[in-house]
Amino acid sequence: MAKHFQRQGRRILGLDKQSWIKGFFGGNAGISIVVLFLICFFLMLEAFRFFPSHHEGLQVYRKSGQEYVGHLMEQADGYQEFVSFTNQAYFAEYDARYTKERGIKDSWDALLGEIEDEGEDLAEVLEDARDEEDEAAIAEAEGAYRTFLKDLTASVSRQSIDSFGRLEGHDDTWEKLLLAAQTYDPVEEETPDFVAEAIQVQKEGMHSFTEAKGEIAAAGTELKDLRSKLVAITAKIAEDAEAGQSARARKEALLAGATKMEGEDKAAALEEAEKIVIQDEFPFGERVQPLEEAKEAHRQAVAKMRTKLAVGIAKLPAQLESDKAAQLIAQIKNGQERFLDNVDRSLEKAQDWEFDKDVGFFESVAKFFFGRDWITNSSWTNVYGLLPLLTGSVVISCIALFFAVPLSIGAAIYVNRLATLREQNLIKPSIEMIQAIPSIVLGFFGIMVLGQHLQDWSQAAWVPEFLQIKDRLNAFNAGLLLALMAVPTIFTLCEDALNNVPRAYTEASLALGASKLQTVTRVIVPTAISGILAAVLLGLGRVIGETMVVLLVAGNRISMPDWGQGLGLMMQPTHTMTGIIAQEMPEVGEGTLHYRALFLVGLVLFSISLSINITAQRIIKRLGNV
Amino acid sequence: MNDSSVTLDSADAPAIAVNEPIISIDDLSFSYDLGKTNTLRNISLEIPAGKVTAFIGPSGCGKSTLLRCLNRMNDLVDTAKVTTGKISILGQDINAPDVEAIELRKHIGMVFQKYNPFPKSIYENVAYGLRVQGINSKSVLDQAVEESLQKSALWSEVKDRLNTSALGLSGGQQQRLCIARTIAVKPQIVLMDEPCSALDPIATARIEELIAELQQDFTIVIVTHNMQQATRVSDRTAFFYLGELIEYDETSTIFGNPKVKQTEDYVSGRFG
Repeated sequence: MAKHFQRQGRRILGLDKQSWIKGFFGGNAGISIVVLFLICFFLMLEAFRFFPSHHEGLQVYRKSGQEYVGHLMEQADGYQEFVSFTNQAYFAEYDARYTKERGIKDSWDALLGEIEDEGEDLAEVLEDARDEEDEAAIAEAEGAYRTFLKDLTASVSRQSIDSFGRLEGHDDTWEKLLLAAQTYDPVEEETPDFVAEAIQVQKEGMHSFTEAKGEIAAAGTELKDLRSKLVAITAKIAEDAEAGQSARARKEALLAGATKMEGEDKAAALEEAEKIVIQDEFPFGERVQPLEEAKEAHRQAVAKMRTKLAVGIAKLPAQLESDKAAQLIAQIKNGQERFLDNVDRSLEKAQDWEFDKDVGFFESVAKFFFGRDWITNSSWTNVYGLLPLLTGSVVISCIALFFAVPLSIGAAIYVNRLATLREQNLIKPSIEMIQAIPSIVLGFFGIMVLGQHLQDWSQAAWVPEFLQIKDRLNAFNAGLLLALMAVPTIFTLCEDALNNVPRAYTEASLALGASKLQTVTRVIVPTAISGILAAVLLGLGRVIGETMVVLLVAGNRISMPDWGQGLGLMMQPTHTMTGIIAQEMPEVGEGTLHYRALFLVGLVLFSISLSINITAQRIIKRLGNV
Repeated sequence: MNDSSVTLDSADAPAIAVNEPIISIDDLSFSYDLGKTNTLRNISLEIPAGKVTAFIGPSGCGKSTLLRCLNRMNDLVDTAKVTTGKISILGQDINAPDVEAIELRKHIGMVFQKYNPFPKSIYENVAYGLRVQGINSKSVLDQAVEESLQKSALWSEVKDRLNTSALGLSGGQQQRLCIARTIAVKPQIVLMDEPCSALDPIATARIEELIAELQQDFTIVIVTHNMQQATRVSDRTAFFYLGELIEYDETSTIFGNPKVKQTEDYVSGRFG
C-alpha cells in the first residue's frame, strides 16, 4: 500500500468530508427544482381532470334538457331587457313632461295620507254625527275638523310632502293645494278639480306611450310562462339524474354500514338499502318528452313576441322631452335588430336540440377557454368560462403597464444618466422601498383612499363622460396600484440595462455635439432596448400574478367588459384569474368540478407567467450583451 | 483646401491662417477633486492651426486630461474644475459662462483610445453627428457620409454595406469609421486620444497615413504613447511630466535636440 498521498480524514458512509459538503450545497439546489416539478405535476394532475368531469357535466346538461331551456332563458332575458328599458324611458319621459302635474298628484296623495293618518279619530266623529243627523254635533265636529286641517296645513313641511321638489317654482300651486286641503271633507273624499284635471292631463298625454309600454310588456307573456314551466321540469330531471347516479354509491355505503351495526339499527339500514333502486340507465328520453312537445309552443311564443315587440317599439313616441328617455328609446330601437337576430339564432339552436346527441370533447374544452360566463353556486347550472377572467387580468395589466412603463423607464434614465450622485442615493432606495409595502396594505389604501378620490376626481367637468367612475372599486383603481407595484421591478432591471451600455457610447455621442437628452434617446435607450423590453416583460409577469390588490380593489364582478364603452371599460369593475382562485378556493369541495376548474385557471395563469419569464430571459440572452 | 488658411465650412468663427495659434492655453491648472489636488499645473502653450501637435509623456502625466479639457469632456466628472488660467479656442474662452459645451464640441471633434462606433449601421454612425444637429435631409446626409468615408479612406471598403452593423468591421476599420464620424460634422479641430493603442501595426500605419491627409483640412491634436508615432505624424510635440508641461517645440527639436534633461531622458527611453 502506498504510504504517501493518501486521503486524509475519516469517511462517513463511504463519503469523505469534501463529498458531504458538495452534497449539502447540491442538495439545496436540488430541493428547489424537485419542489418546482412537484408543484407542476400536482397542478396539472388536478387541472387536467377538469376536462372529463366538465364533459360529463355538459352531457347531463344536454340530456336533461337544460341546454334547451338555457336557450329559451337567453331569449327571455334579452326580451326582459327591452321591458326594463321601456319602463325606465317611460318614467323619465313622464317626469320630464309632467313634472308639475305629477307634483300636484303626488303632493295631494301625500297630503291626504297625512290628513287621514292624523285625523282618523276626528273623521270618525264627523261621520257618526252625520249618520245621526244631529245638527249641533255635525257643526261641532266639522268645526273641530276644520281647525285640525288648518293646524295641519300650517305645520306641514313642504319638503316631506313634495319630496322630489316637483313643485319648486310653483308656489301658487302649492298654496292652492294647501287651501284645497283645508276644505277637504273626509266623508265625501272628493278630489279637488285642479288635481283631477292634472291627473287627466297626464293620462291623456302619456296615453300613446302607455299603450306602447303595455304592448311591449305583454309581448313576452307566453315566453315567460313557458320558461318557468320548463325550468321546473328540467331542474327536476337533472336532480333525479344525479340522484340516480349516486344511488349505487349510497346503497353500498348503507350496506357497508349495516355490517357494523346490531339489531334494529341493522334491520333499518338494510331495509333502507333495499329501497334504493339502481337504474342501469336514467330514462332521459322518457323524461324530456314534455320538452319535445313544447317545441311548437316555444316557436309560437317567440313568433308572437317578435310581432308584438315590433308593434310596441313602433308605437314608442318619437318626440321626447327627456334626454334620458330619448337615449333609452334610441338604444331600444338600435338593439332591436340585433336582439331579433340573436333570438333567431338561439331559437334555431334550441330547435336543433336533441337530448341524445353527444357533446364533443373538443366542444367542452372550447367551452372552458372561450366561454364568456363564469357562474358558480347557481341554482340552475354552473358555467366555467375563462374569458371574463382572462380579459379582466389583461385589462388590469395593460392599465398597470401603461402607467408603470413610462414612469419606471423615465426614472431609470434619470437616475442612471442625468441625476447627480446625491439624487441617485435618494431616488434609488426610495423606489426600491415601494417593494417593501405589503400588497394587503396597498389594497387597503386602494379601497379606503384612492377609490374614493378617483371617483370624486372623475366627476370633474373636463372628464369625458365615458371615463366617469360609477363604481369605486374598478379595473382602473386596481391597475394604478399594480402599476405602483411593478415600478420597482421595471425600474431596477431597466437601470441595470442602462448601466450595461458602455460609457464609451456616451462619450462618443457627447463628443459629437449631442446633448445629454439626445444621447439618451438616440444611443443609450436603443442600445439597452432589449434589457428594457425584458424589464417590462418581467414587470408584466409581476402584475399578472398579483392577487391581493386585485382581489380587494378590482370590484370582483365577473363579466365580459362592455366593449361598447371604449376606453370606459377601464372604469368597470372586473375580476381576475388570481382573484377568482383566492376568492372561491376556500369554499369549494375537494374534487368537485368547481375545484378542478379553479386549478385549471391556476394552470393557465402559471403557463402565462412562465412564458413571459422565458421570453424575457431569451431576450436578455440573445440581445442583452451589447 | 488651400495652403494659406484653414477654412471652416460649418464654422461661423473666423478662419485662422495656418501656423497662427488656434488654441491658446494660458497658465491652466486643473483638478479632478474640486481643487484639492491639481492634476495639471500652470500649463501654457499655443497650438497652431493646420498642424499636427502631439502630446507625449509617461502614464499619468496629464496629457489625456489636457486633451479632454479642450472639448470640455471633463464636464462629465462632477468634481472636475479648472482652478486657474484659461483656454481660448478661436479667441473664445471656452470656460466662459455663456459657452455651451455642446456647441463647442460641434467644432472640436474627438477620436477615442478604444474605437467605439455605436451599435448602429455604418451609415447611421457617420450621419449621427449631423442628425443630432437636426439635419435629416437624405441627400445632405448621403453626401456627407460618402465624403467623410472617402476622407477617412474607408469608402471603398464599406460602400456596399453601409446599412450593416458597424460592429461587424475589423478594429482598424472601426477606428477609421470613428474618424469618419468625427469629421462628418466638419469640426475645425480633431482631438485624438491614443487612437492607435488598440490596433495592430498595419492598422496603425493606415491611421497614421490618414492623419497626414487629414492635416490638410483640420488642426489635429494627438495624444500618444508611442514616440515613433509622434515623430512620424506630428509637426510639434509637447512633453508632459507629472502634470506639468516640461518642453514644447518642433517635433524634430524635441526628439533630436531637447533643451531639458527630462525630455531627453524620456525620448531616449531612459524612463517612462
